[in-house]
Amino acid sequence: MNTMILRGGLAAALVLGVLTAPSFAGKAGIGWQETIAAKSGKAKTLAELAKMYDSSSCVECHQEQHDQASKSIHSRSLFGTARTAMTIMTTIENGLMEEPYSGVKSPKDVKVEHLMGCAKCHLPQLADAEDSVAQELVSTLYGWKEARAKKDKEGAKKLEEKLKSVSINCLVCHNRNAITHKWQDGYPKAGVVYGSKDGDHPSDKFPKMAKSPIMDQAIQCGQCHGLGPNLELDEPTQCCTSYGSYLWTYKAEVGQENCQDCHMKNSKLGHNIQSYRDAAMSDKAVEFKAEAFGYYWRDGAKIRPRAVVKVEMLNKAGHSIPDG
Amino acid sequence: MPVPQQLARGDRMGRGPYEKSGLIEDTGLPPGKLVKERFEIFYPLEEVEVNGKTVEKPAAYDLDVEVKLTYLPFGTPNSDPFVWKEFTKRVSISQSGK
Repeated sequence: MNTMILRGGLAAALVLGVLTAPSFAGKAGIGWQETIAAKSGKAKTLAELAKMYDSSSCVECHQEQHDQASKSIHSRSLFGTARTAMTIMTTIENGLMEEPYSGVKSPKDVKVEHLMGCAKCHLPQLADAEDSVAQELVSTLYGWKEARAKKDKEGAKKLEEKLKSVSINCLVCHNRNAITHKWQDGYPKAGVVYGSKDGDHPSDKFPKMAKSPIMDQAIQCGQCHGLGPNLELDEPTQCCTSYGSYLWTYKAEVGQENCQDCHMKNSKLGHNIQSYRDAAMSDKAVEFKAEAFGYYWRDGAKIRPRAVVKVEMLNKAGHSIPDG
Repeated sequence: MPVPQQLARGDRMGRGPYEKSGLIEDTGLPPGKLVKERFEIFYPLEEVEVNGKTVEKPAAYDLDVEVKLTYLPFGTPNSDPFVWKEFTKRVSISQSGK
């Protein structure tokens, strides 16, 4: 009889648990329930995900930063120069579909977990979405590719814009990814914009601002511009290794500046974060000297005139070049 | 560039983020370290008759040397090159002497 009562109690607790957290797994730390994702629940569509991290209201007061950020490739992080979009599909076909234990036989099998190898950096908020969003992304990517193949410019543009509707926008850096050490500093809260100050913030959606402990530190960027292989994934991926290069070569032997110093402040680019294709970055990154001269080289009776070219290069960036 | 190791094992280079999980080597420019390169280019020679003897003489006394530091993120030098730094010089050798 007592056993039956206990079972009934457990069942009630489980039902209650399902009702209070319908689609978001709990975490061990304290305060995760205050995050945007936990409060919203997981997004079921791409539009819901875009809305969850909608930063369109920021432009009302931060026009300059908005205009700068819109020029940076962060503002189209999933689409990139189109190459990123293509590489995600290559990852599905040449990666996931060829991996015998991935569970992916066709693009229709792709889930959020499968995409996180790319999305960890290209769309970290995808972790806050249901698998239906992964499927919507996959069908949008393939639809875009097909439209391009058919020379359907209008259709391709429409799908391109859909892929650009989610990105590394204001709220990804200034909220979701603004705190790395969540057990020490707390989880980023909904309604708070993280930056350099504490206080009130004149916004209905984000009425508070708080100082992020890492906003001016290299680790803020290092969350994506990585250490090397992402070993926390069931199937590790690797793109950028620049934070690793920064730590083990630049910091270890060269200097003390950080990502923001060069890419935002010294370059005067602000939120228009650029790399090698921008003259402000490339001019400062490498010192290059070359000289050339000719002479008659002699080996015994054999005379072979030669030109000698000497090149000196000094990488002044905080990481190996090339890297990302 | 950091040459990625396919699935972090063996001697094959990986391509695509799903294959890359290590480094075989890094041929890029490390921060703060002066990297020097030296190239030698031989002038072209041709055989000519001088006083009844066949000798080799330079076919040209001027070489136009072009050095390009190219950032090559993807593809080949011809597909999408980004020429970062450039140096050109006409290198001449004398046409007379012992």
